[in-house]
Amino acid sequence: MKIKVAGTGLTKFGEAWDKSLLDLAQEASLEAINDSGLRINQIDAVFVANMLHGKLSNQDHLGALVTSSLDIKNASFRIEGACASGGLAVHLAIQSLLAGSYQNVLVLGVEKMTDVSISEITSALMGAGSDMERRAGLTFPGLYALMAKAHMAKFGTTRNHLAAVSVKNHYHASLNDKAQFPFEISMEKVLQSPVISTPFTLFDASPITDGAGAVVLSSDLSSRRMSGSINNVFITGSAVATDTVGLAERKSLVEISATGEAGTKALKQAGIDLKDIKVAEVHDCFTIAEILAMEDLGFCPKGEGGEFVQKGHTRLGGKLPVNTSGGLKACGHPVGATGIKQIVEVTHQLQQKAGKRQVNGANIGLTHNVGGSGATVVVHILQT
Amino acid sequence: MIGIVSYGAYIPRFRIKPSQIAQAWGKEIAEIEKSLGVYEKAVASYDEDAITLSIEASQRALEAGNINPKEISGIAIGSESHPYAVKPSSTTVAEILGMGNDYLAADLEFACKAGTAGIQLLSGLVTQGKAKHVLAIGSDVAQSRPADVLEYTASSASAAFVLGKQNTIADILDFTSFSSDTPDFWRRDNEKFPSHAGRFTGSPAYFAHVLGASSLMLKKVKMNPQDFDFCVFHMPNAKFPKDVAKKLGFTPKQLEPGFVVEYIGNPYSASSLVGLAATLDIAKPGNKIFLCSYGSGAGSDAFVIETTPRVTSYQKKNKETVKKQIADKTYIDYSLIAKNILTKYRI
Amino acid sequence: MNSPVQIWRQHKILHQYLNKIGRLIVWTKIFVAPVGFEHQTPYLVGIVQLDKERMPLQIVDTEEEKLKINQKVKIVIRKIGKAKSEDVIEYGLKVKPA
Repeated sequence: MKIKVAGTGLTKFGEAWDKSLLDLAQEASLEAINDSGLRINQIDAVFVANMLHGKLSNQDHLGALVTSSLDIKNASFRIEGACASGGLAVHLAIQSLLAGSYQNVLVLGVEKMTDVSISEITSALMGAGSDMERRAGLTFPGLYALMAKAHMAKFGTTRNHLAAVSVKNHYHASLNDKAQFPFEISMEKVLQSPVISTPFTLFDASPITDGAGAVVLSSDLSSRRMSGSINNVFITGSAVATDTVGLAERKSLVEISATGEAGTKALKQAGIDLKDIKVAEVHDCFTIAEILAMEDLGFCPKGEGGEFVQKGHTRLGGKLPVNTSGGLKACGHPVGATGIKQIVEVTHQLQQKAGKRQVNGANIGLTHNVGGSGATVVVHILQT
Repeated sequence: MIGIVSYGAYIPRFRIKPSQIAQAWGKEIAEIEKSLGVYEKAVASYDEDAITLSIEASQRALEAGNINPKEISGIAIGSESHPYAVKPSSTTVAEILGMGNDYLAADLEFACKAGTAGIQLLSGLVTQGKAKHVLAIGSDVAQSRPADVLEYTASSASAAFVLGKQNTIADILDFTSFSSDTPDFWRRDNEKFPSHAGRFTGSPAYFAHVLGASSLMLKKVKMNPQDFDFCVFHMPNAKFPKDVAKKLGFTPKQLEPGFVVEYIGNPYSASSLVGLAATLDIAKPGNKIFLCSYGSGAGSDAFVIETTPRVTSYQKKNKETVKKQIADKTYIDYSLIAKNILTKYRI
Repeated sequence: MNSPVQIWRQHKILHQYLNKIGRLIVWTKIFVAPVGFEHQTPYLVGIVQLDKERMPLQIVDTEEEKLKINQKVKIVIRKIGKAKSEDVIEYGLKVKPA
């Protein structure tokens, strides 16, 4: 299959005190529509990815809220799949294009997280977990910490391996002016920061972020030059796999099997091999998550993800740069927007528009978006 | 003849020394433990309350006695710290124990003697043939005003007794009760902490009622203190029960097995019942036990109990003796107490 | 916390777990809590294998340093979270070292 990424838009990620959810949504959406060269009335449908807004601000009905703010009267939907909402929205938008129902659609991911207290956000995010997990007082740091501990016990992964992910992603973010934390950090900083859930410190975890990302997807594959780019970028693989919402019920604590399943499906759909991937954006909500992603996608054997990162293979200049945007850790993680941001970053890489973060010769990329502790995984393949 | 079929006690594992409490309030009281006679007290964790304590003690009684919860037709929890003012602790406990629906439940309050009152009240169901088994529980996460002298001893524990006519490990030969309207210690409905009338809690309160009920009891059964192997009294502190035992003519040796206050403090409704459990833990068949509780407000329930041959095999099945639980402890400092105060009183 | 009806439904399943012994598979000590658990920090949560089921449960009455993989743990009934002063109290499953 082949769907054109006709335009992209991305707000700065961070604490946007003076911007509401709608402000962020409009900013990213208009940038993407402008970038596509299409007129607003050519957008046939709008897919809005968002996890928390209803719970945090009592405002549901986001589909209509966003389209009316853009003066669009066409179809709109809100899609929720925890932190995979963005990836899911892209996937569903693609299905609508493949079905022929629409020709040009806007996919927007937006999240406003800084209006409430830390404990409220911690609770709200646990909506992505199970009832039993909430009753046990678990948090997302806690859930991924359990996976990290299991991984450390089974494979000898160390806190240094985990910290290496954070350090690498911060380096990438230092080259990204849209990132929440555009600065490098040291291993010591990661290891000595306050503990949030053993073995994680504050720097093992992605932050609380406001932000929005948008793409215009089109089934019209005609070669229309986008502003200043060299190549058209297409999505050639889009796959979703799911698993139990609760971590305890999963088959393994050291593997997110939905990742492998979605990855395999997407690669097959795109007709490419894993070794063809030149750049990837994976879901590093916590440092262990990136290590698991490397293993579960197949970039390295199970248990060796820590070493793979620590050796520098996934740093700019290495054999497979991962999370050149800074990842969730350093670019930020406005939950519903992350999946879209990943598409935007890989698109820019393939368009040779990534500036100081450019991976040379990047022509095939992968995005990997996870919901909860591994209950939903969406993988996309992009090619020029 | 009605008797005890099985029993269980639960003492939370955390302990704090009075000197730690004094230190938290900036008081320097030399040898405070020695003068109180209480060396440490049991402290419930932030997620425990009279209901969870009751469940622990009861499930131990059910397990050791191999009791089918569906055959318990009456349950009464006596406490000064029922979690609700309106909604019975007894039904929550009954539900979780698996008692089904065919039972009478009622919560009791009579300061520290609500648990023993439950034994006397529920026993009637058994004697009338209305119940095969009944479950009487004394359970408290005792409250006291922070920095008040009561804080050194007010503690947490629970004890549960299954009563019945058959297969008893100890028979209740007789019981009586002595009551009057005496305002020695009380807590008004919306007040957070109890109040007390100082020295008035001694002679006209504790002593008058314990002596009153005990003399009445001994007269009724025509027995003397020398006829007993053991005695158990309510233990608000280390001094009162020793004094009252002496006044009645009991010896320190008789008092000793049930004298638990030194290492667990005063768990209000569970005090004398934990003392009874500790005594049953070591009693031999045919031993006679004298029990007299005390509840402010005021009243005392007295019992004459005699162990049966079955007590020995019960002791083998009972893993959680009072002695074991007293020894199984973790010392804490005032921070858990402070946390509990914040949590409970929503400060 | 949960509604009275949700708590009522939940309480009904507690009985079957009374006294159960399980094995502790993995645990973490949580320092940043969600709403209703702030008063408990730091607290331990682990994944416990109980017969055929695996459950996430709080671990009480112990320290992180004392825990060992596969150690036996016992089900206890404790209060879940912190109910508001006018709410129904929720009781539920936790584990402590067996």
